[in-house]
Amino acid sequence: MHPPLSLIFFFLTAGTSIGLYIFMYAIEFLQLFGKGQGLPKEVILKMGILELILIGLGAFGASFHLGHKLRAWKAIKRFRTSWLSREAVFSGAYGVSLLVYLALNQLGANPFFEHFFGILTFVLGVLSGFSTAMIYASNKFVLEWNTSITVIYYLLMYLMLGSTLMAYFSYLYNLPYLGTFIFLSFLFLALGLGFRLAFNIRQFYLKRPTMNEALNLPHNRPIRVIDTGSTTDNYCTEEFYYRKGKEMLSTVIPVAYLLTFVVPLFLVLYAWITGTANTWILGLTYLFVLVGSALERWSFFVEGNHVQNLFYSLYPEEGYRLRKGYMERKETKISLY
Amino acid sequence: MAQFALVIDLNTCVGCHACATNCKEWNTQAAFGPLSDFDPYGANPEGVWYNRIMTYETGEFPNTQVFHLPKSCLHCQDAPCVPVCPTGASYKREQDGIVLVNYDDCIGCKLCSWSCPYGCREFDEADKVMKKCTLCIDRIYDETLPPEHRKPACVLTCPARARFFGDIEDPNSEVYKVIEERNGFVLFPDMGTNPANHYLPRIETKINLEEFEKHILKPDNPLFLEVMKRHHVSNKAPQEKQVEEVG
Repeated sequence: MHPPLSLIFFFLTAGTSIGLYIFMYAIEFLQLFGKGQGLPKEVILKMGILELILIGLGAFGASFHLGHKLRAWKAIKRFRTSWLSREAVFSGAYGVSLLVYLALNQLGANPFFEHFFGILTFVLGVLSGFSTAMIYASNKFVLEWNTSITVIYYLLMYLMLGSTLMAYFSYLYNLPYLGTFIFLSFLFLALGLGFRLAFNIRQFYLKRPTMNEALNLPHNRPIRVIDTGSTTDNYCTEEFYYRKGKEMLSTVIPVAYLLTFVVPLFLVLYAWITGTANTWILGLTYLFVLVGSALERWSFFVEGNHVQNLFYSLYPEEGYRLRKGYMERKETKISLY
Repeated sequence: MAQFALVIDLNTCVGCHACATNCKEWNTQAAFGPLSDFDPYGANPEGVWYNRIMTYETGEFPNTQVFHLPKSCLHCQDAPCVPVCPTGASYKREQDGIVLVNYDDCIGCKLCSWSCPYGCREFDEADKVMKKCTLCIDRIYDETLPPEHRKPACVLTCPARARFFGDIEDPNSEVYKVIEERNGFVLFPDMGTNPANHYLPRIETKINLEEFEKHILKPDNPLFLEVMKRHHVSNKAPQEKQVEEVG
C-alpha cells in the first residue's frame, strides 16, 4: 500500500497528544483516591495546550490526504458503519472535551464536572486511537493488517509516545513521577516491541490467496499475466503497490525497529539503572520514538499487500503446495475476526 | 429485488478493448464524467477508466490458452466498499442494486478503494473524487433513447457480442438464463462480496478432422465428386492414399 504521509503525521501528533493526556489525567484521577500528589495547575495548562495544539495539527494534517478538505465535516454521517467516520467523530470530540476539561481545571470550578470531562476526554482519546487502528485492522483485503495485533500495538505506540514524553516533562518540571514514567516507558516500549515482532512474524504464516482463486480457476492451473490493459501504471498499481517502497522496505524495517524500540529501550534502561536522568537522555528517548514511529508507520503501510494486486500479479507468490503427493488446497476463507 | 449486472462471455471475448474505449467515450461526456486523462499524448499516459481488460495465459507451453478478462465494478450484492464510506457518498441503490458514488458527498479519502478486493474503483486526481462503473445508469433509464439502446455503452459496442446486461435475479432475463445454462462464475468468491457481474467460462472447442474426413469422403455423399477433385488438385500424400482406398 502507498503510505500517505499525512496519515503518518496524524499518527505522530494524535498519538503524542492522546498518549500524554492519558498519563496526565491518570495522575489527576489517582489523586482522587489519595494516591500521589496530582499535578500543578500550570503544568496541566502547559501540557493541555500542547495536547490541544497537537490534536489540532493532526486533524489539519490528516485533511491533506482528502480530496476535498472542506467537506471533511460530512465524515460524521456514517458513524454507524464506518470506522473512519468514528475516528473523525471521536478525535473531534476528544479535542472539544479536552478544551472543556482544561477550562474547568484552570477555573477551579466544580470538581465533579472537571473530572466528568476528564474521564470523558480519556475515554474519547482511547476510542479515537482504537477507531484509527480499526480502519486498518478491519480491512479484510489487506491480510497483514487484518488482525487484532494491529490494534493492540497501535494503542501501545500511543502509550509509548505518551509515557516517554511524560518522563521528559517529569524531569523538566521536577515532578515526583520520574521513576514511575521511566518504568512505564520501559514497559510500553518492551510490549510495543513484542507486538510489532508478532505482527511481522505473523506475516510468514499468512494463508494468502492465489491468482487462481482471484480468477476462480482450478487451483493447479499455471497462470500468468500477459497484459494489464495499459502501458503505464494506473491508480490501482500505484495506490496498492508502492514499488519504490517495496525495494526500500528491507532497509527501512530494521532502522525503524532500532529507532522506535531498541535505542529508546537502551536509553530508558540506562536512565533507570544508573539513575542519571537528564534532559538529553529523556528528550532523546522521545525524539527517537517519534522519528522511529514515523518510519514504523511507513513500513506498516508498505508491508500491507492488497489482494487486488493478484490481478496484476503483484501479490506475494505463495501458490498451492505439493504435500504428500497431492495438491493441497489452501485455506483461503478470510474472516473479520 | 432487482440486481442489474453484466455477464461477460470469456469464450467470445477477443480482448479488443472496444468496451473500455466506448465506456470511456460515453462516460467522459455523460452525467458521471469526465474521466480525466493525464499526459494523454505523452510517454506515460494515465487516466481514469471504469473498465480495464486484463489478458492472462493459462497452462504450460505448448498447451497454453490465452483469455481476456474485462474487469469493471462488479456491483457486489454485499458490497464491502459501501459501509466503509464515512460520508455515505458510496451507496447501493435498492431498486436495481447498482453501486454508485455521489460526487457531491465524496471527500476523496480513498477508503472505499482500499475495501474493494477487485481494484475496480479509481481516484480522479483532477476532480478529487472516487469514480467507478455506473452500469451507464444515465443510458439504461433514458426514455429518450430507443429501447434497444437502453444498455451500457460497453454492451452496445462489443463486436463479439460477449457482453450481456440485465437483471440477474429475474428468471426470465437473458442474463439469468446464460448464467444458469453456461455455469456463470464470479471473481474471488472467497471474499464474501457476492459479486453481481458474472463471467461465462471458456469452452475448449476441438474439431476432429479424422471424423470429418471419414464422413465427407463417403461415396454416397452428394458432394463426393467435388471433394475428390479438390483432393486431387491439392495432391497431398495422405489424401491420395485415402482416394485409392475409396476407389
